[in-house]
Amino acid sequence: MAQLAEELERRMEELRAEIRRAVIAGDRARASELRRRLRATDREWEEALARLAAPQAPGGPGPGAGPGPGADAGEPAGRRGGALLTVRERVHQALTLLGAPAAPRLIVAVYEAFYAGELPAARLTSLRRDEERSFRSAPHARPYYLCAALSADLLAPARGLLAVSTWPMERRVIGPLSPRVDYLTAAIGVAERLLATGQPPAAARRLLWRFAVNIPGAASGPAGLDPGQVAAAARAELAVHADADAAHRAAAARRALDQLDSAGQLFGGGGLRLLRGGAAR
Amino acid sequence: MNAVEARLDRLRGSAAPRAHNARTISALASNPGCARRAVMDAAGVDKQRVAAHVGHPAPFGQSQFAITRGNAFEAQVKAGGCAQLLRLLRERLRLPIPEVSYANLDDVAGDTSNKVRHARTRALLARAAASGQDAGTLFDHPLLRLRAGGRAVYLEPDLIAFQLRGRFHVVEIKSFAVIDGQADGGKVAAAVIQSAVYVLALRDLLAELGTGPEAVSDEVVLVCPKDFSNEPTAALLDVRKQLTVLRRQLARLDRIEDLLAQIPQAVTFDLEPDAAGVPRRDRRALELAIGAVPARYTPECLETCEMCRFCREEAAGSTAALGRATRDDLGGIDDIGTVLELARGSVPPADHQAEAAAAIRAAARMRGEILGATG
Repeated sequence: MAQLAEELERRMEELRAEIRRAVIAGDRARASELRRRLRATDREWEEALARLAAPQAPGGPGPGAGPGPGADAGEPAGRRGGALLTVRERVHQALTLLGAPAAPRLIVAVYEAFYAGELPAARLTSLRRDEERSFRSAPHARPYYLCAALSADLLAPARGLLAVSTWPMERRVIGPLSPRVDYLTAAIGVAERLLATGQPPAAARRLLWRFAVNIPGAASGPAGLDPGQVAAAARAELAVHADADAAHRAAAARRALDQLDSAGQLFGGGGLRLLRGGAAR
Repeated sequence: MNAVEARLDRLRGSAAPRAHNARTISALASNPGCARRAVMDAAGVDKQRVAAHVGHPAPFGQSQFAITRGNAFEAQVKAGGCAQLLRLLRERLRLPIPEVSYANLDDVAGDTSNKVRHARTRALLARAAASGQDAGTLFDHPLLRLRAGGRAVYLEPDLIAFQLRGRFHVVEIKSFAVIDGQADGGKVAAAVIQSAVYVLALRDLLAELGTGPEAVSDEVVLVCPKDFSNEPTAALLDVRKQLTVLRRQLARLDRIEDLLAQIPQAVTFDLEPDAAGVPRRDRRALELAIGAVPARYTPECLETCEMCRFCREEAAGSTAALGRATRDDLGGIDDIGTVLELARGSVPPADHQAEAAAAIRAAARMRGEILGATG
């Protein structure tokens, strides 16, 4: 059965490469068909893995006892609830909705408010490390990676933030004003998603309310919560910070692209070396 | 100073010195009369181990639940670029909308060493102090440094210092509730004095950079959960009085030789640990050594000092053990036995006891009338 899992892994690798080629070629229909097949293969792989792990469970970790803790697909198929997506896909969905680097707690809240199924917060803790390991062993093998946001000054990974590798560098660096800008951006993302959803779930409205109370002029009370008003208020405050933040981020992004290799651009680099260089001048 | 250092080293014995922190500094300020605590802290004695060795381990340390709760509340207030805190500051202190700049000083590119973090804090605050308005607003977990008892102490405040119209304010986030505008007095007092330590440290840092003390506000912002919710609320607290007390205490710590002069030369708190670190000091000898340094026990010590159980046992039978208010009411009478004798009228009061004795008799008479018998 170990051979089956290995074969499925090879198959998934091939599918990913094909997806990448299809995406680059702009063939969206083929890409989505391939993605469906990849997900199906992934499910088969999960089941093969569950069968592999079952007889070994009482004996503790035996040789080849499945993926390390927190590997993004190490969850038994039975515990998945309604969601057929892997943790990384779910995180990607939530981040795409938010449109800005976000902390795991917010990612979980957004996913659970807007999508069926749950996203266990504990699974997010090792996600970035797993993604980095995957990237370093086979660079660019996946269509996207969940990566770090970089602090603008030191280009080191910003603590506790996840981002998507396909975002432009400007969006993935965090300057002094960026935490607020990203907060407002996320509020706009949530508000617009609510506007687009005919019957928004109660959890989604609560999530928007949590944003709205912290944005001036966004809401007068939970009863009168209007997503359009929240988005407008967030845009109004965003206009105050946007120019200064964009300038910071653009400069930092230029430095990051100049100074860091491709792994460093995704997962951070530089750090103290740069600080010491900066302190010496 | 060298003689003093040597003396303090001898008091501590072979153990490594323990550094002061915001908690020990504020504890000193809350019981300034206690020479025992002042001397042991100045010498960097591990009070916890000493107390345990003489059979009175402190019921001490914060509960794990309280720490978790505190951290969770702090994380909530600071989430999303301090979104909740910004709202409070905008509402309470009219922080202008453009002031949202945020710097996390928890680590410097993954390096969490005190030295690096302090250097970075210093650099950022220097820039903020120099260029005024637009050089940083929120500083998350800055690492400050204060000289106490001749040693530099790193203070890792669980707070944010931010700049508001050219002045720095210390923000302290605590997880005890403010219910109907009222909070537990003891907890507020502790938070205020702790914040005052940070104000002092921040002023020290800015003074080194050539900025005057007026750059740091006398008022600190205390953020607590409101009523029975997780909703934060903020209050401005004046810490001028605590600053005065602290400054006097720190000056006294620096003049520790005056206190040392009153202690016999032979006294040491050395635990004489063996190779495995197990204390081998004779317990009785250690008790005598501790007893040689006068303490001033009050019931509040139970919350702040590792030696509290030892001192309480020592103070048993004295009026001081009943608390500051009782001791002050019974001024001139140190011993509970004497108080009872005076109440029964079995001994005549001395001249200096006359006033207190009259009060005790009146209290005894009232108690007798209420209970229908003479106590």
